[in-house]
Amino acid sequence: MEYIIEVFLDEYRLNKLKGTPVESQIDAVFGGELKVVRVKVGEEVKGEVLKAFETARIDSRACITDTPVAFKRAVFDEIAKQKSLNEDVVKAVLARINEIKDLAAKESEFLPAPEIETD
Amino acid sequence: MSELYFKRPMPHGGKLVERVITDKKIAKKFVDSLKRTGKSFEIKPTLHYKRGVPVRNVYREIMSVCYGFFSPVEGSMTSAELESVLSKRRLLSGWIFPYPILFDISKEDYQKLGVTEGDRLLLTLKGRPFAILDIEEIYEIDPEELANRTFGTPETNPEVVREKFDDKHPGWVIYRSHQPIILAGKYTIINEPVFRPPFDRFWCPPRRCREEFEKRGWRTVIAHQTRNVPHVGHEHLMKNAAYTGDVEPCHGILVNAIIGVKRRGDYPDEAILEAHEAVNKYGYIKPERHMVTFTLWDMRYGNPLESLLHGIIRQNMGCTHHMFGRDHAAVGEYYDPFATQILWLKGIPSYGFDQPVNLVDGGLTIRPQNMREFLYCPVCKEMVYNDTCGHKKNWQKLSGSLIRGLVAEGVQPPVIIMRPEVFKVVVKWWKKFNYPFVNEKYVMIKEEELEVDIPELD
Repeated sequence: MEYIIEVFLDEYRLNKLKGTPVESQIDAVFGGELKVVRVKVGEEVKGEVLKAFETARIDSRACITDTPVAFKRAVFDEIAKQKSLNEDVVKAVLARINEIKDLAAKESEFLPAPEIETD
Repeated sequence: MSELYFKRPMPHGGKLVERVITDKKIAKKFVDSLKRTGKSFEIKPTLHYKRGVPVRNVYREIMSVCYGFFSPVEGSMTSAELESVLSKRRLLSGWIFPYPILFDISKEDYQKLGVTEGDRLLLTLKGRPFAILDIEEIYEIDPEELANRTFGTPETNPEVVREKFDDKHPGWVIYRSHQPIILAGKYTIINEPVFRPPFDRFWCPPRRCREEFEKRGWRTVIAHQTRNVPHVGHEHLMKNAAYTGDVEPCHGILVNAIIGVKRRGDYPDEAILEAHEAVNKYGYIKPERHMVTFTLWDMRYGNPLESLLHGIIRQNMGCTHHMFGRDHAAVGEYYDPFATQILWLKGIPSYGFDQPVNLVDGGLTIRPQNMREFLYCPVCKEMVYNDTCGHKKNWQKLSGSLIRGLVAEGVQPPVIIMRPEVFKVVVKWWKKFNYPFVNEKYVMIKEEELEVDIPELD
């Protein structure tokens, strides 16, 4: 079975992918309001990601979700570096998993809230 | 015409359990006499059997038993009752019930306490008298066996169990983390806890809930189970499921959130309640038709078994219908995603139900409204129901996990998938806890503070 890691793209990330082969693989979802790229991985890589992060899970769309932000950032950086959506992107991230786990551990204590007005 | 109207269902078991002493003088007398015997026990959180972090607090079960959410259960189960629940999912009285409800203590605590069968034990919470337990039986369990038998295995429950339960499953961990000595007997609350904000304004135990339905003129009410802040898919589920009813759509939608220890990555309880409230406060479903409440329970994530408990709770609260969606109260891939629907539409013989749970002896009378999925269809340009829309290959699935991913990266979800007022509530509690989701720090704070304070009895 194939599993998917979605990476959402804001303006900064869209610019980083401009002119690369990945640009043509950017999808617009939810009425065009979100831009996303998808990396497909097999059972083995899925298993490694789930093993690495306690919160990670597979959702109803076969997407690997609830991974730390540090992991998602690393996946995006690797996509931009390799200019590819191949499974190798995730394998490269898993090769430095200890470093990402350290970042994720810090992130599990604090994430900055968006600056929007609340009641 | 009246024969077409649905009646409010009887509580499960025939009558609501209410084991709360509200007269302070009587309560004080109980405490004074118990102080003389010296048999009292301070309730502590159940800690993860490996990692030592809180996974449950039995006070939540005592509250849910004594206020009638779990009627007809009246206390911690005896060994015969436990065996009956594990083997048949039925109480000794024959009424169906999915989970063991147990008051467990360590061997060391048992030795220190020196209690025997027939004793009355004072239970304190936050250092103050809270409840009493009349001990009928004391016995020992093997927590690992308890955890395995509670959920089943792919071999013993092949209809719905897909993977062996393990320590990645929070419900299995709760039972695996139980202490080995069980004190069985009825609970009675003698000192009513006072809920802290924002829980106080959502607390509505079964009797009061039934009275509220009467006051609002709600003949038919559909329950919505939640452990999540609502995205637009949930809102569509609620709105559309509520079109069922008797001769007209359900009069009311009762959101009943499960409040207790949750897994990392879920939203804080405070955000869940206020986010659902935002749905009616800002008119997405008008407040005259929508009511937000909660039940105290450390979720076991047992999909079909959890749905059974949800049916019992909401029937006790007076609901006529209960909506069930895909992956109901599930985590991971332990169960078939539609295991709950299988239970309510066909039955699961290996769990003791050879027919739907409404048709078996001792079963439920609340009606299931089994729903599939709501998705975004870019062709229809709206949220659609999967059994209605014909543009399957275009569908974009909306999941809580997808939204959590956006939130964590600080991306405001588009209005098409989350209402801005709901997102504001998420951010409000994010600012308070420095984190948008449940993390270890939140669990530690929450389990120390709890949802309640205990007043002085004097």
